[in-house]
Amino acid sequence: MKEKIFEAKDVVIKFNLRGKVLTAIRGASIDLYHGETLAIVGESGSGKSVFTKSFIGMLDKNGWVESGTMKMDGVDFSQYKTEKEWLAIRGKKIAMVFQDPMTSLNPVKTVGEQIREVITWNFGTEKEEAKRQAIELLRQVGIPEPELRYRQYPHQFSGGMRQRVVIATAIACRPRILICDEPTTALDVTVQAQILELIKRLQKELDMSVIYITHDLGVVANVADRVAVIYAGQIVEHGLADEIFKDPRHPYTKALLRSLPQLGVRGHDLHSIKGSPPNLYKEIKGDAFAPRNPEAMKIDYVCEPPFFKVTDTHYAKTWLLSEQAADYRRELEQKNGEQELLPAAPVDFSSAEKLVQVKNLTVQFKLGRSRFSAVKNVTFDIHRGETLSLVGESGSGKTTIGKAILKICHSSGGDILYKGKSVIGKLPRQEMAAFRKSVQMIFQDPMASLNERAKVEYIISEGLYNFRLFKNDRERQDKVAQAMRSVGLLPEYVTRFPHEFSGGQRQRIGIARALALEPEFIVADEPISALDVSIRAQVINLLNKLKREKGFTYLFMAHDLSVVRFISDRIAVLYKGQLVELAEAEELFAHPLHPYTNALLQAAPVPDPDVERGKKVAVYNPAMHDYATDLPEWTEIRPGHFIRANRAELESYRRRLEAEA
Amino acid sequence: MDEKTVSVPENLPQELFARAEFHEEKLEDTGFSNYSYWRSTINTFFKSTTVKVVVALVLIMAAYTVIYPMVTERDPYTVSLSAREWNLPPSREHPFGTDGVGRDIWARVWFGTRTSLLLSVAVAVFEVGLGVVIGALWGFYRKLDTVMFAIYNTLTNVPSTIYLVLIAYIMKPSVVTIIIALVATGWIREARWFRSRILALREVDYNVASICLNTPTRRIIGRNVIPHLVSLIIMDAALTIPYSIGSEVFLSYIGVGLPADLCTLGNLVNQGRSAFLVYPFQMIFPTMILCFITVSFYIIGNKFADASDPKNHL
Repeated sequence: MKEKIFEAKDVVIKFNLRGKVLTAIRGASIDLYHGETLAIVGESGSGKSVFTKSFIGMLDKNGWVESGTMKMDGVDFSQYKTEKEWLAIRGKKIAMVFQDPMTSLNPVKTVGEQIREVITWNFGTEKEEAKRQAIELLRQVGIPEPELRYRQYPHQFSGGMRQRVVIATAIACRPRILICDEPTTALDVTVQAQILELIKRLQKELDMSVIYITHDLGVVANVADRVAVIYAGQIVEHGLADEIFKDPRHPYTKALLRSLPQLGVRGHDLHSIKGSPPNLYKEIKGDAFAPRNPEAMKIDYVCEPPFFKVTDTHYAKTWLLSEQAADYRRELEQKNGEQELLPAAPVDFSSAEKLVQVKNLTVQFKLGRSRFSAVKNVTFDIHRGETLSLVGESGSGKTTIGKAILKICHSSGGDILYKGKSVIGKLPRQEMAAFRKSVQMIFQDPMASLNERAKVEYIISEGLYNFRLFKNDRERQDKVAQAMRSVGLLPEYVTRFPHEFSGGQRQRIGIARALALEPEFIVADEPISALDVSIRAQVINLLNKLKREKGFTYLFMAHDLSVVRFISDRIAVLYKGQLVELAEAEELFAHPLHPYTNALLQAAPVPDPDVERGKKVAVYNPAMHDYATDLPEWTEIRPGHFIRANRAELESYRRRLEAEA
Repeated sequence: MDEKTVSVPENLPQELFARAEFHEEKLEDTGFSNYSYWRSTINTFFKSTTVKVVVALVLIMAAYTVIYPMVTERDPYTVSLSAREWNLPPSREHPFGTDGVGRDIWARVWFGTRTSLLLSVAVAVFEVGLGVVIGALWGFYRKLDTVMFAIYNTLTNVPSTIYLVLIAYIMKPSVVTIIIALVATGWIREARWFRSRILALREVDYNVASICLNTPTRRIIGRNVIPHLVSLIIMDAALTIPYSIGSEVFLSYIGVGLPADLCTLGNLVNQGRSAFLVYPFQMIFPTMILCFITVSFYIIGNKFADASDPKNHL
């Protein structure tokens, strides 16, 4: 076994929040070995960030380390208080990269100066020498033309480039441990893949150990040597990446891996974890996960389990591994005998009525004096009853298309037909009301989409009031209760305010609000991206259930292809405001033709370490197309499979399809 | 992490290692948080000792200015013909002394404070009320931009003293005139400030959701936007009060304020000034009260602004 360089033992972290003392970390321990990457996986509120922030003394001012030790080179620094003490650790021994690159950089200083300052501050290096080193660092993190970039400000960098700068400042003092706190969550998938690659390279070059905090199991599979799963402030399972992914032992880890949308089988419900992560206000007794685990044992409610050894490197904190639970284990194994689910055959909706027709839609925004096209010449149809997914990175225009269809955003050209009638421009009052009633939206961020100052009752009744959809107040209340029940919430909760609900519950309230109007068409703008992994499956299952029961038609937006695979009937890929490929879901995955689709498919992290390790990152460069003379066109290359390509490209795609057939 | 398998409690009863009941409905309760914006705001607000003291003093003073004129027999306007009653220093009989015509300054100060407080509260209510309504319309209807900016530029580029003086000259000097004069110059600044707040709130997802639900703009403003601004409105009103009292004093000082025989803090300060060199107490006492009101409302307004920011709800 390699040399242990850092050890945190039985750490307890408490917070003073509004007069109450909360325990955020309830005795967590980790070891870190030389040169390895340890991934800490957990949901929001599990304490993963708090835990690692305490290693560099960056807890919020109302939090403190109650007990436990953090040792590096034999020195316990868990009770350090002053900035001066921490300076010996922070940056020099342990450095941290945060989630949002914009907030970690000073917007009014050039990036070069910011890196140079770190060097001068820590080593007292001469200005010129520090500058030379800073440029070298920028080169090292893969920023082209570092001499020029040295003099630029953070806003002149793209998100991925900014994160590279942040990494450069973090490694400026040659730390031995680099903590990356969700460094790619705010970035696009293709950029994410590049940053992961960079961190791996730097780790080798600089001989660092990396602690990687994330909620994304795909990323974990990509980077981690070892994995620690954290739940409700405790590490519940840790082991080598292969062991965790292939032989998970803790019920939480198992459920988390099974509920991934990537593993969904078309036509079946995803395995979902019920409920929400525990609230720190509540006292936790026994196994924190037990209340959400249908297979929990009585002991889980009584007594906190210890760690049981699976292999020399793999430990799990669950009573299931106890010898006394052997009988129960056998019982579970018999019941859960792996049954292979067969995917339902894709449904062909092409003969169904065209509910929405988007024809050559263009949306332009004014940018100072110039105009900028967010959406260029986009054409597609949505048939009644189907789910069409629009996939693209941030800035690709998918939200703009959705909002233009909803008539929240203007459109500058083309036409949008709803039920065969154009809805562009000003509609007569009556028609507008009818349109509003039948088209609804589900939002990405459940925190921003509910009015905090109104009770849930008003939020869900809002549409009912607007369209007078009830004869008396009794009927309205019944409708609200029905909407609540159909999203799996108790009708009693309507007297509460949104802030009393968790993210997943809030998202379902947002769905209930849309549902109350009994719409026909729903635009869902990344409805699961802001949710925790264990909550995503709930929301996806709910959307699918509503589709089956109420016959909804969805326009579903996402930035990650793998997530939409099993819920979509057809998928359209969007790049910088233009559609590049559109096909039936399985067809697109079987025969992705456009290089951008390929790049997206490869960049999306797959929660399987074997696949991830051998992966090469494909970068899409639009300059690869030779569109100088031979202009690309939106062409149907096979029945139902559209692609944007020129004649020469079509030729080669056709050959490829033939060869694959 | 190697030695962590230890410490398994001995002799656990075997029957505990069996399936437990699973309550699916109960699960949804776990997301429940008892955070309440208003409760947290009030708690944070009253956490500071300064705020407790200042709020208590302001309340006592406000109560006193209401009760004192009702119970006292002393009339602040009674002039004494006897020169022995003139310019008396503070004593048990006259806690703040008397002025040049023998009027009791203590009584005059409290009557004056009452007038000034009423006046400034009225100004605050009208100014902020008008500002919120116009600001909301301005924020929601882009078409108003041209007109409103023209008005804004005109009104703010000319010093407000000039309007104050003009309005005060045109109309008969009275409490209503002063209120109109102050509101007429102040509303546009409030409207502009609320407009920028509303612009930031307008594009928020829950407003977009309301548009999708066909909610009329009037109700979006009333139910979605204004409730989020209530704490700002309170803060703004609290800060307007010392400003209006100050303006009243200033107008009285330059002689276009309220009629000189009316008890207001402005008149008292102004009258005290003329006798300041010989009888300094005649100016010092009203000024002290004036300073106290101004400073305490500033403290309340600022502390409330801090407390209403969710970032400070710890």
